[in-house]
Amino acid sequence: MVLLALAAVALVPDAAHACAVCFDGPGETRQAFFATTAFLTLLPLGMLAGAGAWLRSRARRLESEDVEKKQHPES
Amino acid sequence: MSAGSVAYQMEQRPEPVRRAPLVSSGLLGMLIFIFAEVMFFAGLISAHTIVRAQTAGALWPPYGQPRLPVEQTAVNTAALLVSGIVLLLSWFAFRREPSSARIPLALSILLGGFFVYAQGTEWVALLGEGLTMQSSTYGGFFYLIVGTHALHAVGALAALGWAWARLNKGLLTETQLATVAAFWYFVVLVWPVLYIQVYL
Repeated sequence: MVLLALAAVALVPDAAHACAVCFDGPGETRQAFFATTAFLTLLPLGMLAGAGAWLRSRARRLESEDVEKKQHPES
Repeated sequence: MSAGSVAYQMEQRPEPVRRAPLVSSGLLGMLIFIFAEVMFFAGLISAHTIVRAQTAGALWPPYGQPRLPVEQTAVNTAALLVSGIVLLLSWFAFRREPSSARIPLALSILLGGFFVYAQGTEWVALLGEGLTMQSSTYGGFFYLIVGTHALHAVGALAALGWAWARLNKGLLTETQLATVAAFWYFVVLVWPVLYIQVYL
């Protein structure tokens, strides 16, 4: 049975188009896979970077407000 | 070092400075939730993009399936965007004088309610024309993406309604309004992306 399966694989070497990215699926499908892979990879990184930048600017603002309060406690 | 000198040093130590948190716990929780939901919608958009690309060259929407009401939904989209702008105005009004935010907040809820109602009537019409979850991948994606957004819109409207009720009782805090508003802004800002992706 194993030999038969190996023979079948050897005699019918066409690539299985199970993965539209790895083999020659339609060009637009491949483009869509690449674009969505880039989108799903970069989106969380972009959101994290945005959140980090926002928190940093907020921390700096609060710090400068603290300094100002110490310098002018009556205001 | 004697016990007396330790006690003296502890008395001399300055009080630790208690800083206000960078972000309130409620807003931070909402931002984490929104982060997760953005990725959820990104997954749906990606799946839709790939399925649509696989039918390139063929008709999209598929033959026999009704066309989506692009113009009517553009009006709903405008109502939703205006709702977001009015909510921003209510935020500024709240910071000046909390009670002055009542009318803009109510208007924002009404515009959001109009959006959900109009989308609902659109669904009824499309179901009547034969577009269902099972009719095609086109129908399946339409109801999945737009329906998920509608669920978020209903949830965010409920939260805005809660905020409005607390505002009327004089109990609403700035942090609570910011948290609820962040959810509504997510609903408002993700919709144009979905509209372009699904309807156009």
